[in-house]
Amino acid sequence: MKQRKETMYSWLCSAPSLLLILLIVVFPILYTAYISVTNMNVYHWFNFSFVGLENYRDALFVFDSGFLAALGRTVIWTVLNMVLQLVIAFVLASLLNIRDFRGRKIYKTILMVPWAIPGYVSILLWKTGMFNSQFGLLNQWMERLGLQAVRWLANDVSAFLCCTVVNLWLALPFMIMIMDGALQAVDKSYYESAILDGATWLQRAVHITIPEIRGIIGPAVLITLFTTFKQFDVVYLLTQQAGARTGANIHTILTYAHENAFITNNYGYSSAVSMIIFAVLILFSTAVNRRKKEG
Amino acid sequence: MKRLFAALLSLCLLAALLTACGGPAVDPDGPATITIWHDKEDEVAAVLQEELDQLAPDIQVKLERKDGLTDSLKMVGNDPKAAPDMYFFAHDKVGVFAEMGILAPITDFVDEKTLAGYLPMTIKAATYKGEVYQLPLYFETLLYMYNRLYMSDEEVPATTEELYAYMEQTTQGGHYGFVEQHSTAYYAAGWLHAFGGYILDSEGNPGLDDPNTIRALEYHKKFVSLMPTEGEYATVNTLFREGKAHSTIGGPWLVPTAREAGIDLGIAPMPVVDETGSPIAPYSGVQGVHVLKVAAERKHDAIAKVLEVLTGDSVGTAIAAASGCAPARETCYQDPAVAEDEMVMAMYETAQNAVPMPNVPEMDVMWTVTENLLVEVNMQGADLQTSANAAQQQALDLIKQMQ
Amino acid sequence: MTMHQRRRTRRALAHLLLHLLFLAICFATLVPILYAVSVSLNADNSLLSSNFRFIPEQFTLRNYQAVFTQEPVMLWLVNTLILALATVAICLAVSVPAAYVFSRMRFKGRRPVLRLLVLLYSFPSVLSMFAIYRLLSPLGFVNTHLGLILIYTGTMAEFGLLNMKGYFDTIPVEIEEAASIDGASRAQIVLRVVLPLAQPSILVTAVQVLIYVWNEYLFATTFMTGAEHYTLAAGLYSLQATEISGSWPVFAAASLVVSLPILVVFFAIQRHMTSGLTAGGVKG
Repeated sequence: MKQRKETMYSWLCSAPSLLLILLIVVFPILYTAYISVTNMNVYHWFNFSFVGLENYRDALFVFDSGFLAALGRTVIWTVLNMVLQLVIAFVLASLLNIRDFRGRKIYKTILMVPWAIPGYVSILLWKTGMFNSQFGLLNQWMERLGLQAVRWLANDVSAFLCCTVVNLWLALPFMIMIMDGALQAVDKSYYESAILDGATWLQRAVHITIPEIRGIIGPAVLITLFTTFKQFDVVYLLTQQAGARTGANIHTILTYAHENAFITNNYGYSSAVSMIIFAVLILFSTAVNRRKKEG
Repeated sequence: MKRLFAALLSLCLLAALLTACGGPAVDPDGPATITIWHDKEDEVAAVLQEELDQLAPDIQVKLERKDGLTDSLKMVGNDPKAAPDMYFFAHDKVGVFAEMGILAPITDFVDEKTLAGYLPMTIKAATYKGEVYQLPLYFETLLYMYNRLYMSDEEVPATTEELYAYMEQTTQGGHYGFVEQHSTAYYAAGWLHAFGGYILDSEGNPGLDDPNTIRALEYHKKFVSLMPTEGEYATVNTLFREGKAHSTIGGPWLVPTAREAGIDLGIAPMPVVDETGSPIAPYSGVQGVHVLKVAAERKHDAIAKVLEVLTGDSVGTAIAAASGCAPARETCYQDPAVAEDEMVMAMYETAQNAVPMPNVPEMDVMWTVTENLLVEVNMQGADLQTSANAAQQQALDLIKQMQ
Repeated sequence: MTMHQRRRTRRALAHLLLHLLFLAICFATLVPILYAVSVSLNADNSLLSSNFRFIPEQFTLRNYQAVFTQEPVMLWLVNTLILALATVAICLAVSVPAAYVFSRMRFKGRRPVLRLLVLLYSFPSVLSMFAIYRLLSPLGFVNTHLGLILIYTGTMAEFGLLNMKGYFDTIPVEIEEAASIDGASRAQIVLRVVLPLAQPSILVTAVQVLIYVWNEYLFATTFMTGAEHYTLAAGLYSLQATEISGSWPVFAAASLVVSLPILVVFFAIQRHMTSGLTAGGVKG
C-alpha cells in the first residue's frame, strides 16, 4: 500500500518535467523516425508517402569506410577531451583549494569567463584571431620569435589538436566549477589524518579525494561526455565551414552525416541517417554505462 | 543568501507571468502588410524600402533581414503564420523552392510584356521548368580588381599567362601578386568555364570528371601555389584591403570597403586563358524578388502593386548606385547615371561572358562536393584524376539521394 | 633562521609560484577575449591585421556606439531576459521535484525512465529540429516566445533532472531521517533541509540553463522572424560578419556586450555556487 502511494506521489512530482521532455525530446525523435520511412524531400514536400525501409537501405551507403573512420575519430576525440578535461580541471581545482591561497576568487572568476561567451563567437574568434596563418596571433608571435609560420588548421593532426584546445577552452570552466564544488564537499578531517600518516599529495588525491568526489561529479561528467561526443560546432566551424575549408579532413560522425546526407534536402533520407546515428549513440552510451558499473 | 534566493525566485515567477500575459504577439499581417525577407547589405535594403514606402499607407512593406534565409524558408515556406509574403534572393534556389511547391510564378502578377523589357539572361536565370519565378532586380558577378599603387593600368594582365608571370615576379615578402578564394566552388567555377568545363549543366548533370574540368583544375594549380593556402574570404579580402595583394577576383561587395581602406582601385576585364582563348567566366547571380504561394492568393493585389513598383526603372538605377551591380532592366542603361558608372558597366561587360548559376535543385549538393574536390586538389595535393572521379561519383550518389 | 621562519619563506615561495602559474593560465584563457576587446576598440577597421597589438594605437568607441544605435540591442536584451528568466524558473520548478523523487523514492518504472533519459540526452537536438518545428507549428507556437520557452525548458529539463538528481544522491539520507524523527513533514524537510543543502547544484543548473538560453541562436533564429523578436544571441548571429554584410569590429563589440551580463551574474553568485555542502555542516 505504501509502495503504491509512493509510486503515485513520485510520478505526480516528476510529471511536469517528464511531460516537457516527452513533448520536446521524445515526440520529435518519434516524428523523425516516422519521416524516415517516408519519401519527404524536395520533390515530395507535401505529398510524401510511405516508402518503408528504403531510406535505411540507402542510408547504409553513408555508413561506409568514411563513416567508420569518422566514428573512430569521434571516439578518440571524446576520450582525449574527457581525459584532458578531467585531469586539468582536477589539478586546477585542487590548486585553487590550497589553504590560505589569496586571490583564488579572482582567478576562479577569470577562468569562468569563456563560459559566458556564446560558443560560436569563441570559435570564430579562435579561428580568425588565433589560428589564421596570415594574420593569426599565434603566427605573429612565431614570426617575432623568428620561427616559420605554421598552417595550424591545414593538416589533420594539428587541426585535430587545435579543435581540442578550443573545446577545452570552452568546456573547462564548467568542469572546474563542478570539481571545485566537489572538492569543498570533501571532509577536511580525512586529510589531516592522512597528512599525519605522511601521505603525499598524489596519494591523498588517489586515495581520498578522487573516491570522495566521484559520486558528486559523476552526473556532470556523464553529461559532458555526451556533449563532447555530439560536438559539432567546434570541428565544423574551425575546419569545414562552407567556403572556408582549411584542408584538414577531420570529420566526426555528425559533420560526416551533415556532408553526406543533410545537404541533399531529403528529409526522409536524412532522418534515416539521424536514426542510425541515434542507434550508434545508444550503443556507445550503453557501453559507457556498463564500463561505469564495472569500474 | 535566503533573501537572494527568494528574490531570484520571485523575479523568475514575475517573468513567467509577464510572458504568459504578453503571450504570442498578435499576428501583424493585416491585409495590406507585405513582408519581404532578404539577406542583402543595408544600403540595398534601404533603397528598396524607400522605393516601396511610396505605397504607404495603403500597403506597408516590411523588409526583414533574415539569416539562413533559405534554410528558414525550407522550414516555414508553407506556414502562413511564419512565412514571409515574398523574399529577395539570388535566382539559384528557384528550382528547389519551385519543386517544393512553395513559390508562385511571377507571371501571375506581372504582365508577360513587362518581362520583355528585361535582359534575356536575367529572365532565363529566373525560369525553371517553363515558369518565371523571380522578378529580377539586378545581377552581379565577380570582377578582376587591382591596386593601382602596385599594378599600373598598363601592367594589368590581359591573359592568364601574363597574370602568372606577374605573380611569380611580385609574390614575396608577405606580398602577393594575385589572390582569390581559390578553393571555393563559386570562385573556381570561372576557371572551369574558361576551359569549357562545368560543375553542373542545366539538366542537373555534374561535370566534375569532365576532361575540360580536369584540364582547368590542373592549370589552376600553379596559380594556387602562389597564393596563401587559406583561401577563405577573410584572408583574401583583408590581404587586398591592406595593400598586400596587388590584384584579386572579388564581388562588388568588396569595392566599398576597399575604397574605404584607401585602395586606389582599378577594375579590368577578366584575363583570357591563353590555351583556350576564353576569359575566366565566373558565375553570375541574378538577384530579385520571389512570391510565396501562401501569400499569393491572400494578398494578390497588394503583391501585384509591390511588383509594379519594382518593375520601374528608378528602382533599378537606385539599386545600381547603392550596390554597384548591374540593373536587370534594359532601359536602365539609358540613364547616364548608370551608363557612366565605371563599376556597373564593368559588371555589365563581365556578365556578357558570365555563366548564370544553375537554378536546378541538384546544385544544392554540388557546392559542397566541388569544394571538397578543390580542397583535396589544391591543399592536400591529391591526385587530380582520382579525386575528380571520386567527387563525380559522390555528386551522382547525392543527387540520387535527393529523390 | 628558525624552523618556523624557514617554513614561512618556503610557503611564501610556493604561493608565489602558484600565483605565477595562475597568472599564466589566466592570460592564456583571456587571450582570445583580449583580442576581441582590442579589435572592438581599435580605430582601424579590421579584425585581421599583420601587426596586431593588444593596446590599439588609436582608440575608438565607434563600434560600441554602432551596437547600441544601429541595432535594437535593448529590445533583444528584454526578449532574452524574458526567455531566460522564464526558462530558468520553469526548468527549476519542474526539475527540482523530479530530481528529488528520482533520487530518493524507489518506485515502479524509475530505473527504466532514468536509463531512457540518459539515452535521450545523447540525441543531438539539431537532428530533430525539423520535427520539433512540424510539431509546434500546428499548436501555434511558432514565432512566439512561448514556443521557444517550451523548447528550451524541454531541452534543459533533462539536464536539470540528471544533474540535480546526481547531487541529491550525495546528500546523506540520514539528515532527512533525523528531521522526520523530529516531526517535520516531507514538504518541510525538502524545503528546509534538502534544498539549502542542494543550493550549489541548483545554482549551477540555473546558471547552465541561463547560459544555454543566453547563447542559443539556432532555434531562436529559425523559430522567430523579425529583428524585433530576436534574442541577443540571435541578433548577434545576424550581425555576424559574412563576406557581404558584417563588420568584424562591430561583431566583436557586440559579443562582449552580450557576454557582460552573464559575467556579472557569475560575479554575483559565484560565492554561493560552491559553499553549500560544507556550510550545511554535512559530515559523512
